[in-house]
Amino acid sequence: MSAAETVSTGAERKLALTRGSQAALFVLAIALVCRLLGAQFEWLVKWPAALTVPMTDWMTWLVGGFLDVFKPIARTFTFLVSYPMEGVGWLLNALPWPMTVAIVTALGWIIGGLRMAALGFVGLMFVVFSGYWTEGMNTLALVAVSVPLALLLGTAIGIAAFEFPRVKGAVNALLDVMQTVPTFAYLTPLLVLFGFGPVVGLIASAIYAAPPMARNVLLGLERVDTEIREAAVMSGGTRRQQLFLVELPAATQQIMIGVNQCLMAALSMVIIAAVIGGFQDIGWEVLLTMRKALFGQAFLAGSVVVVFAIIIDRMSAALAEPRPQQDRKVAVGMLGVGVLVTLWSMFAGWSPSGFAALDGVAAWVDTGVGTFTGNHGATLDTFKNTSMFYGLLPLRIGLAEAVLPFTWGFLWTAKHTAMLYGVAAVISLVLVLKARVTAGLVVMILAYVAEIGIAHLAWPVVVFGAGAIGWVAGGWKLARLAVILLGLILISGLWERALLSLYLSGAAVFACAIVGGALGLWSAMSSTAWAFIRPICDLLQTIPLFVFLIPVLMFFQIGEFSAFLAICMYAVVPMIRYTRHGLTSTPDDILEAATASGAGKWQTMFEVRAPFAAPTILLGLNQTILYAFAMLVIAALIGTTGLGQSIYLALGQADVGLGITAGAAMAILALVADRLVQGFAEERRQALGL
Amino acid sequence: MTDTNSTAPAIAVEDLWQVFGENAAPALRDARGAGDDKAIAKELKDKTLIPAVRAANFEVKSGELFVIMGLSGSGKSTLIRCISRLIEPTAGSVRIDGEDILQASDKRLIELRRHKLGMVFQHFGLFPHMTVADNVAFPLKMQGAGKAERRARALEVLELVGLKGREDTYPRNLSGGQRQRVGIARSLAVNPDIWFLDEPFSALDPLIRRQLQDEFLNIQATLKKSIVFITHDIQEALKLADRIAIMRDGEIVQIGTPEEIVLHPVDDYVAEFSKDVPKGRHACVESILMDGIPDNMPDDPGIRVGMTLDTALTKCMELYEPVPVRDADGKLVGAVNPHELANALQAEEI
Repeated sequence: MSAAETVSTGAERKLALTRGSQAALFVLAIALVCRLLGAQFEWLVKWPAALTVPMTDWMTWLVGGFLDVFKPIARTFTFLVSYPMEGVGWLLNALPWPMTVAIVTALGWIIGGLRMAALGFVGLMFVVFSGYWTEGMNTLALVAVSVPLALLLGTAIGIAAFEFPRVKGAVNALLDVMQTVPTFAYLTPLLVLFGFGPVVGLIASAIYAAPPMARNVLLGLERVDTEIREAAVMSGGTRRQQLFLVELPAATQQIMIGVNQCLMAALSMVIIAAVIGGFQDIGWEVLLTMRKALFGQAFLAGSVVVVFAIIIDRMSAALAEPRPQQDRKVAVGMLGVGVLVTLWSMFAGWSPSGFAALDGVAAWVDTGVGTFTGNHGATLDTFKNTSMFYGLLPLRIGLAEAVLPFTWGFLWTAKHTAMLYGVAAVISLVLVLKARVTAGLVVMILAYVAEIGIAHLAWPVVVFGAGAIGWVAGGWKLARLAVILLGLILISGLWERALLSLYLSGAAVFACAIVGGALGLWSAMSSTAWAFIRPICDLLQTIPLFVFLIPVLMFFQIGEFSAFLAICMYAVVPMIRYTRHGLTSTPDDILEAATASGAGKWQTMFEVRAPFAAPTILLGLNQTILYAFAMLVIAALIGTTGLGQSIYLALGQADVGLGITAGAAMAILALVADRLVQGFAEERRQALGL
Repeated sequence: MTDTNSTAPAIAVEDLWQVFGENAAPALRDARGAGDDKAIAKELKDKTLIPAVRAANFEVKSGELFVIMGLSGSGKSTLIRCISRLIEPTAGSVRIDGEDILQASDKRLIELRRHKLGMVFQHFGLFPHMTVADNVAFPLKMQGAGKAERRARALEVLELVGLKGREDTYPRNLSGGQRQRVGIARSLAVNPDIWFLDEPFSALDPLIRRQLQDEFLNIQATLKKSIVFITHDIQEALKLADRIAIMRDGEIVQIGTPEEIVLHPVDDYVAEFSKDVPKGRHACVESILMDGIPDNMPDDPGIRVGMTLDTALTKCMELYEPVPVRDADGKLVGAVNPHELANALQAEEI
């Protein structure tokens, strides 16, 4: 290409708007119209009530009828499942605690040698001393019955999806929905179907835990080497022989990852299910002590949950990895010690339920937290109020309403609005002159959001804004999907609540993206940092959602800020992990080429590693968004507004219609966000030729 | 159809097409009107379909080692998968001992695979969760053979491939060469008549490859299977084959003995392959005999029919006396024997 040609195309590029800037211009135009004409035409800002459809009522009627039909079957099932559940519960409670400890320790030995054995022993001894032994065993009984159900269901679905390509699409869509529908939303219809009681928790956890199993079975089967498959065919195996003798065993490793995820999901759900009526299980203890503001006890009970989670997670994860054979005699020896201690404790009259050796710790935590909040109450309050008044609140209701003399020292007036837009316009102009048209336009849109607040955004801006982003990320199809799905929420009458949810999760995701991105970058640059951050990430990912509420409650009481922090704590992990992974997984030859070109450490990081990591980091962001939505509903327990609260309320009133519509609205938000980010990630991947 | 006398070919492939893409079969039927195979292929490509195998025609005689050679993407792996019906060909017929296996029912196909067909894979295709012996015995298990019988036969075949004593290890503990021995043992476990080998040695180091090629030839010398052998390596093809089919872009461009391929390539593409091949090692004297016999010929150097060109050349050179060797200034520095020269050119007999 000649120099003249280069110049001319360069000039053309300046004039022709990119896809991104076209979309931004479109959104800005809508925002402008809504902002200027919103006062005259209220329907431009608020969706007219006359046009909302009573979807909640329809859902109540529709699903109610459906549930009525299946209720007898479901109740029979409840009846049937209660037997194994009670049986296992009885068994676990009747088994003397030294035997249980010995069995878990021996199991740990066989699975992973000394490390796992120690983990099992220390963990269970902690449970013994905590005084929550009975509650813990009851929870384990639920898991022990729900997990086999989930494994069976998941494997069956996975195999069906693999065997029948036609089923696969449907199954994948279903699994997507099942993973985005918030956990509480599951519970309401199940509650109506199966009645109150622990069995609902069991069934909910089986349903909730089946998808990860199904996904991993499908993935494992798909990843079986073609030649292994062909070798089974050429050996003359029937389809069934191929599947069960070759393909499933060859996929063991992936399937074991599924088992691990299944176990964790089941445990998490069993604990959450305590919200609908516990029965002396550990989730119920956490909830109860939390409600009574007995933070020391809540902390202790929460620790028991975490201990269970860690033991189950690490042991089942070890199953997925190739491991050396351990000496069985040692395991037998451990069981023998268990028997001896059992006999001794029977004579000595020890019983774990009488133990409360750690109540002192609980009291100490209580006083400790009390003293801490007493001494640093002002600091904590300042932190909380600063974040609320200068961060969350303006984001929610806009600077125009959030800026008050009481907090900011002055009242927001039309003059300030003009200043805000003036400054934004100047920045925008500079950016446009630097040929960064999209960035310039986005600055103007952000100024509009800052003034109005997310909760007050005009509906056309949100709906068509999502559509525009969809168009940039994945073309017309994605744009249509985003508009239609959001439109459904709009006409359902849940729009305002949806915006509130959007605001809180948006704020959390934004915070996570910044903090997580920075921590990820730090972990990528320094292996010392990663050695420190990694176990924390592992721990945070193991903890059932519910438990995140305890520490934030201890320090910040009930309220939106606590919810925000809990969401951030949970949702930040994938951002850290994916950022680090993306930044460190640049192929060696590319790095060598960069070094050979004379790039320094930071130059390599930003010029080579970062662009290469972009798709991975976007996937991390995607996970963070999904995590945030999942936690949002749980956080409703400690005071959030929006859809999460609706779902939680519906659960309390067994209101199936509201529960399902609000759950669906939540799932739609998550799904749209997921698709948009995935679209960008895919676009980046293709641009990099990955 | 049912003509299964001993002279019938073990495998007969007729006008076999494999077209990938949606609605390939009707598209191929429509395209048939376009004219010759090239025109058909072009028309299919225009419809964004991929004609991976085009009008393949060949026969493999009983006990013959038939090699299909081509570069990656030439359709050779697809072709062997069509013949073994691991994938369904779009059109054409494949007869094994006279039986059209494309028409065979699923049940019959399983039957054939359990008793008549064996296959070796490029990346071995070993079952990671089974021991070596269990891997080898797997086809027998499918047949329904008893445990003891399976074990006995597995050990027997493992000894044949030189893996005695390794029967209870897992594939992950074996080297690449050993793994492929297991693959070979497994494919031989049911003593099949037809043996498919899909680039069996391509994933191995050159030294191991050569060793396994030699052992493979030894095994074939005793077992006399009818073999379809896929490779991308012309040296391997020339070394092993009774006949070679050369593929390009899904088409078989030439079928012939190694000598024919080397001495009479049908086009530049085939010639390009055999360019670096020492012709003297693969061609025989009779391929370059003169028309008629001259009257006066010198002493008989002992050249025989079937001798390679290299050997014949050495024999001729033995007739000559040593000749002088001089330095750049023309000063005599020594002498050399012409037959030594010829010997030095001749590569070691393999």
